[in-house]
Amino acid sequence: MKVSKLLLSFVLSVSLFTQVLSAQIASTGAVLGQSAVSSKKKLAQIISREDVTKKFQELGVDSKMVEARVASMTDEEASKVAHQIDTLPAGADAGMSIVGAVVFIFLVLLITDILGVTKVFNFTKSVRN
Amino acid sequence: MIISSGCAPKNPLPSNNSYSSYKTDVPFITPRSELCASTSIEMVSSYWQILTPYVPRLSLSELDERTLIPAKGGTVQIELIAAARADGLLVYPLEPTFDALFSELSAHHPVIVLVNRSYSWYPLWHYAPVTGYDVKAQTILMHFSDIPNEAVPIETFAALWERSGNWGVVLLPPGQLPESATAEKFLRSAYDLEKIGMTNEAITAYKSALSRWADDIPTLIALGNAYYNSHQITEAEQIYRKILLIDSKHPFALNNLADILCHTNKSDEALKLLDQVVTDNIKIHALIEATRKEIHSGCTPFIKK
Repeated sequence: MKVSKLLLSFVLSVSLFTQVLSAQIASTGAVLGQSAVSSKKKLAQIISREDVTKKFQELGVDSKMVEARVASMTDEEASKVAHQIDTLPAGADAGMSIVGAVVFIFLVLLITDILGVTKVFNFTKSVRN
Repeated sequence: MIISSGCAPKNPLPSNNSYSSYKTDVPFITPRSELCASTSIEMVSSYWQILTPYVPRLSLSELDERTLIPAKGGTVQIELIAAARADGLLVYPLEPTFDALFSELSAHHPVIVLVNRSYSWYPLWHYAPVTGYDVKAQTILMHFSDIPNEAVPIETFAALWERSGNWGVVLLPPGQLPESATAEKFLRSAYDLEKIGMTNEAITAYKSALSRWADDIPTLIALGNAYYNSHQITEAEQIYRKILLIDSKHPFALNNLADILCHTNKSDEALKLLDQVVTDNIKIHALIEATRKEIHSGCTPFIKK
């Protein structure tokens, strides 16, 4: 997680500045029990957003779209995606492809061969032997 | 004979039979590989476009570009939510129950669900809009795949849906309210719109929440703050004053109204409001003192926008 010193100082100065400007209003987040954003937290959120951006690029998302996609997430969502993208389920498609099904059946038969419940392939050796 | 097995859905089917059949006329779009999330959003958003003045902000291809993660070959839930919001819709997370699902269907609100078409050890995740329920045939109607309003036996649906923890979302134009909503959860969904900069949509949503929960103070504060943050100071002042009619000692309303009064050259009245605050909460106390300090040092007038 590399954040340049320049960015860091920029973030801190901006957040300090906005705090001076609007410290007097009780925010909606406070009503909902979402704690106020400290400079440190703000920084963590920006890092999360950077992480999502980087992960999305690694996962092949069009770099032109990454910014818009991250921008429409709330801070909480961005941080969740940043930390859990590898384990989150991805809703995909209309079921298994034929190739997928063939591979799948192959794997099942391979396992049952190994378990000694079937003997489909010549190259398998059952654990029961 | 009842056969009990480990694979039985943990979420039982609706136990009471008070539900009737429901059907919503959601436009159907033929599925495209890997793009069930954006297709589902598009189907629901065209439904609302027909029924309400809502106009989608994004085209289908823009939705595609915002939802697909190529390496995962699909869409994660958060991005379905974020894309729907960017399309101008409020996203309400459904309570993971059949009661909540049927309650939305009874109000003609389609629900997008996440299902696992396969087993957990070989998951095939899939999003699809639920469009209705047939009580006689005991089927759930949904634009599952190639067939519009495909009738899925309710036991099958329950098994597939249970594997996602009964995950579902209600997508609505901000002027509509989910049938199954609670004031607090709805406020969170509306506030999410404001958080990503869709303040006008958030204001519309807060107002429609007040049409059902007229005296809900958190919603009133949210509306007042949204007005304040979008420089609609007169409207903000009216809302804060309305809160004080319901709860004359509400510290947030007293504080925020005092701030407005200070900026509009009514410092005496502002200080009187702050004097009414009674709190043993350290944070609220600090906030009140900060506002008091600001008033004493003199507030600058609001910049007209």
